[in-house]
Amino acid sequence: MASLGELERVFMDRLWAAGAPVTAAALRDELADRGLALTTVHTVLGRLEQKGFVEHDDARPRGFRARATREEHTAQLMHEVLGQAGDRQAALARFVGSVSAGEASLLRRLLGGASPDPLPDDADRAG
Amino acid sequence: MLPASALVLAVLAALLAWPVPAALARSSWPRRDPLVALLCWQAIGLAGGLSIIGALLVHGLAPWGTSLPAAVWAFWTGAPAGEAVRGDHWIAMTLAGVLFLELTGVLLLSLVHTARTRTRHRQLLELIVQPGAGLPGCAASERGAPEARLLEHPAPVAFCIPGARPLLVLSSGMVAELDDAQLGAVVAHEQAHLDERHHLLLLPFVAWRAALPVLPAADRAHDAVRDLVEMRADDVALRSVPGPCPRRVLAAAIVAAAGGASGHGLVPGGALAVTGGVVSARVARLLEPPPPLGATGRATALACAVALLLLPALLLLVPAL
Repeated sequence: MASLGELERVFMDRLWAAGAPVTAAALRDELADRGLALTTVHTVLGRLEQKGFVEHDDARPRGFRARATREEHTAQLMHEVLGQAGDRQAALARFVGSVSAGEASLLRRLLGGASPDPLPDDADRAG
Repeated sequence: MLPASALVLAVLAALLAWPVPAALARSSWPRRDPLVALLCWQAIGLAGGLSIIGALLVHGLAPWGTSLPAAVWAFWTGAPAGEAVRGDHWIAMTLAGVLFLELTGVLLLSLVHTARTRTRHRQLLELIVQPGAGLPGCAASERGAPEARLLEHPAPVAFCIPGARPLLVLSSGMVAELDDAQLGAVVAHEQAHLDERHHLLLLPFVAWRAALPVLPAADRAHDAVRDLVEMRADDVALRSVPGPCPRRVLAAAIVAAAGGASGHGLVPGGALAVTGGVVSARVARLLEPPPPLGATGRATALACAVALLLLPALLLLVPAL
């Protein structure tokens, strides 16, 4: 039995792949190997709509489509992680914050300088 | 006449609002023992709030009794005041109430807000990322650790989303920039954040910075705690990095991640100053480790933290002089 979370992901993959609005019946038929009831399909679509990932049009039957592409969602998430949103630090703990290009090169020198091996420059001068 | 305990509490509050956090933020010992320093910061935050609200309350309720518990009881049961109640008593009481409501309210709002942001991020990640994406060099799954997810993005980014079902996220850019040992170090670092609940240590300071924007110490305290949490996670991560020189592995991972992030032009200019200094400080600390704080130093710092909490608590409970 697939979890709702997994079904949501499968549905989103289908909607992203489709490009055009898809009806609930068409989704059920596409995923015939999972043997989903139409009510289950509507439940999953409803959850996705509630989370803001899916919207439907006014056609009969209703066509469902993704509100944003996978890339757009990724970009939005990365923007929030990398960006300077006020709550970034509270919501996410990042491995490394952002540094300027100048500091990045300073860091590389720091790393190189503490190397136990002699620096190439020194070896040249010694020779 | 101002009760002596109110006066002492007010002095304590003033000290904790400016000189004490400034001194702790400036001193160099915290990076020798981030955990003890983090405990000291928590004590400063708690004692600061306790003393300022306590000072106002003790003064405001002074006409009702000599000790705060007795005065609160008398006030609550509607007993008549023993002395004349002046305007400044009412002002002090009102201020105490406002301050208490603001501090706890902002803390609660902040809690709700971050929880909502995390839920949204988790939902987003669960949709756009396949679960169980195998991460090279990541032994986390073997330890019953949180789920690790691989996010398709060129910038080298790693982060964790704390919560009941914590998520650990690595970008494909991070996997590309680092070797297996370095990736393991990154995962161990994020794991340490999650295991030690670092987001909870930071939360009050995020909230109080929002509540008290006029107080420079709130800003300073927040930044110091945020940096110390990173250093603590580095320390914990070192324990699980194999090889002869784990410090170099972790330092190299930090440098690679930091350099890659700035090279992608993904980081907005405004963000640079925010975390700038701490990355260098972390790398320097890893490559040339300062001597760890001795037992005496640790004991002294912890005793100070306990005293800082006991002093306002005792002043609130003992009868006013």
